[in-house]
Amino acid sequence: MSKVKKHGRLTPLKLLAHIAVLSVVFLWVVPFIGLATTSVRPQKDANETGFWRAFTSMERGHAIRTQGGPEGGTTLIEGNIFDDIRAAQEIDFVQSNERSPNALILREMPIEGEVTGVLVIERLPDPDNPDGTIRQQVIKQPGEAFEVKKGQFTYQADGSYQWAFEEPYSGKGKKLSVFIQQRPQFGWNSYVQVLTNRQVPNSLISSFIVTIPATIIPIMIAAFAAYAFAWMTFPGRDWIFVIVVALLVVPLQLAFLPVLTWFTQAASLATWLNEWLTDCEASNSCKVSSANFATLWISHTAFGLPLAIYLLRNYIGNLPREVLESARIDGASHLQTFMRIILPLSVPALASFAIFQFLWVWNDLLVALYLGPDGETDRVLPRIIQSQLGTFKSQLHLLNASAVISMIVPLIVFLSLQRYFVRGLLAGSVKGG
Amino acid sequence: MTHSPSAQTPMVPIRHRLYWLPLMGNAMALLLSVLVVLPAAAFALFALSSIFDSLLVRLPAFEADAFGRATDNQQLYLTLSRILFALRAIIIAVTLSFGYYALASWLNFAGAGVFTRNLQARNRVIEAIQPWIFVGPAMVLLCLFLIFPTIETLRLSFEADVGYSFENYRAIVASSQFWIAIRNSVMWLAVVPTACVILGLVIAVLTDSVRWGVIAKSFVFVPLAISFVGAAVIWRNIYASGGIEPTDITPGFQLGLLNALLGRSADDGLFFYEVKFWGNFFMMTILIWIQTGFAMVIFSAALRGVPEDTIEAARIEGANPFQIFMRVQIPQIFSTVVVVWTTITILVLKVFDIPYALTANKDDKLLLATYMRIVQDRFRDEHQAAAIAIVLMLTVIPIMAFNVWRMRQEQA
Repeated sequence: MSKVKKHGRLTPLKLLAHIAVLSVVFLWVVPFIGLATTSVRPQKDANETGFWRAFTSMERGHAIRTQGGPEGGTTLIEGNIFDDIRAAQEIDFVQSNERSPNALILREMPIEGEVTGVLVIERLPDPDNPDGTIRQQVIKQPGEAFEVKKGQFTYQADGSYQWAFEEPYSGKGKKLSVFIQQRPQFGWNSYVQVLTNRQVPNSLISSFIVTIPATIIPIMIAAFAAYAFAWMTFPGRDWIFVIVVALLVVPLQLAFLPVLTWFTQAASLATWLNEWLTDCEASNSCKVSSANFATLWISHTAFGLPLAIYLLRNYIGNLPREVLESARIDGASHLQTFMRIILPLSVPALASFAIFQFLWVWNDLLVALYLGPDGETDRVLPRIIQSQLGTFKSQLHLLNASAVISMIVPLIVFLSLQRYFVRGLLAGSVKGG
Repeated sequence: MTHSPSAQTPMVPIRHRLYWLPLMGNAMALLLSVLVVLPAAAFALFALSSIFDSLLVRLPAFEADAFGRATDNQQLYLTLSRILFALRAIIIAVTLSFGYYALASWLNFAGAGVFTRNLQARNRVIEAIQPWIFVGPAMVLLCLFLIFPTIETLRLSFEADVGYSFENYRAIVASSQFWIAIRNSVMWLAVVPTACVILGLVIAVLTDSVRWGVIAKSFVFVPLAISFVGAAVIWRNIYASGGIEPTDITPGFQLGLLNALLGRSADDGLFFYEVKFWGNFFMMTILIWIQTGFAMVIFSAALRGVPEDTIEAARIEGANPFQIFMRVQIPQIFSTVVVVWTTITILVLKVFDIPYALTANKDDKLLLATYMRIVQDRFRDEHQAAAIAIVLMLTVIPIMAFNVWRMRQEQA
């Protein structure tokens, strides 16, 4: 069976395969495109139109208020619709900053494009009643003159308008609905806003604080245990390993209720010790919470151990016997053999478990919800995103930006170490991998 | 000189007294010293390193002193102190856990010499204790966090107001939510693993047949890296409804892709995952989208392991590609198919994040894991929650037995 034949000329079947693979890739990529696109769109667009609209220009309606006449009056007011929109955005920006002074709210991205219509209400003769009139919404095209507050209003597609009066006018401006064919608009506003709002940066740090120890510690503990299971004899070894394999699939839900109780007891003991040993009474900081980072570290460590031991034992058990025996005969102790020979040789297996554990802990919501800290600054990223899913229903650009931020780290880890990840998957699922 | 345990060098039998007494003595001494030294070391390290914390606390004051003005870097100091706290804890935890192995091994070696002068007995004592030093921490953690809690949960689930009974089980079986959770779990179990396996197989075969298949595979594979909650946000853009309603003179806009593809306008769109009953299937799609990559990678590797000559033989016999796939390749990777199926089944049994994040536990979207959460969170009933956890455990047991059986087969 040669490669030439496999990738030979293009038969109809082959073409079908290409199309099928292309559509699979399309199906898998579109959701990601939706996420990335929504996160860089202006708020109004992200909330009101689908992400696929972001790439083409589209006609959107805006409410503006034209400039009024100056004191003393004038017969000609000149302005620009885009300037008026910017002025409205500025007012919005100032108001929302006053409403929540602690949150950083950015100016909306400036709108660019062409004005295609202005909506006015006109009195037209009523077809049913020759004497009366009816009010009707009419869209006025650029260049067309129409009456606004007794003045002649003309605008061009670039937004500039002239508002001419017979007599000097000093009144207010007029609220108008304008339609603008907007050019696609992208910007980093939502990221800046999410990253300066403290909630996401705090939880990003929390996620790192939880994930790094919860990845390193189980590797070490499991590697020693795996070495013992693979290369040392002790009574009950095989049975204990069977239990480890059985524990691989135990639902974590079984552990939560008792562990929660024990953590509460341990926390009250720690509080008591704290009172007894330190001068915490002075700063009123004696209380040790039953849900903190340490509880998450130790829980994730324990929950990750069965898979770690299983993977590493399979790998370490398959190392060549001669290498180990020669070291032992040279008089190396088990600790020395482990440190000098086993560890360097098992780096691929250690790496593949490290990726598993890192992704699992970073992405975990369940354990964080039951056992993790609940404080405003201590919640991990999945918990923040889960709560944003419920509360950011009209800030979809921020929701999507937070989700992107939560995915960057695992994606970097995953893509850079994909080789090891695949190897680990195969070792865990296919015999002899 | 020490002996490799696996080398099985014949040993001159030594008298039991010479062996058992030092063994017990050494083991007890080791255990006691570890139990005393490790917590003491942890405490000492934390106390010593807390000096950094107090430095950081003084930093604002120091800065105010040095620059003659108060700064408003409160947030920065808070962040810094959190990072410092984490670094400290990481370093201490890693030092301690490595320190344990070094210390215990050394104590074992030194202690054996104290408890017996017989060289052969000493070596045997060391060899007998050393494995327990290595597996000890893992065993303790597994017992504390998985084995004992399971037993305790079992006990909790039977504990009633007076004594023990099936009361809690009777209560959950009587609730309609439990049966909805069971119904939904059965649906998820029927759909998700099947879809993942079939899609994974098809995509594996297809991508292996085109030259750019590796790139295609990595696209299908990527969702494995992201969280279920993140995936929920991603799919919200597809399933959502909303936008601007069309009027006589202005066009409408639809927010969700699926609604737009179905031609639904903003006012008659559906939030697909909120639809009664069928919403379950839209959430399943999310899990299938995530897990197909896993199935695909495993199958792709397994298919590459199918001997080429069997395929070639079938081709000479005149089999078409579809027949080769169904009759030659599938039978040869059948055990892999079963493994992938069980792995995804386990995942589905435990799935929690997707319905929890998307539907906030609406009654008709309950699964066993989310049902347990609302019983515990909303009804505050630990005992019934424990009973649900045990039901969840019972559903996993067949797969657990299968895994153990498979492992024993492989070892044999």
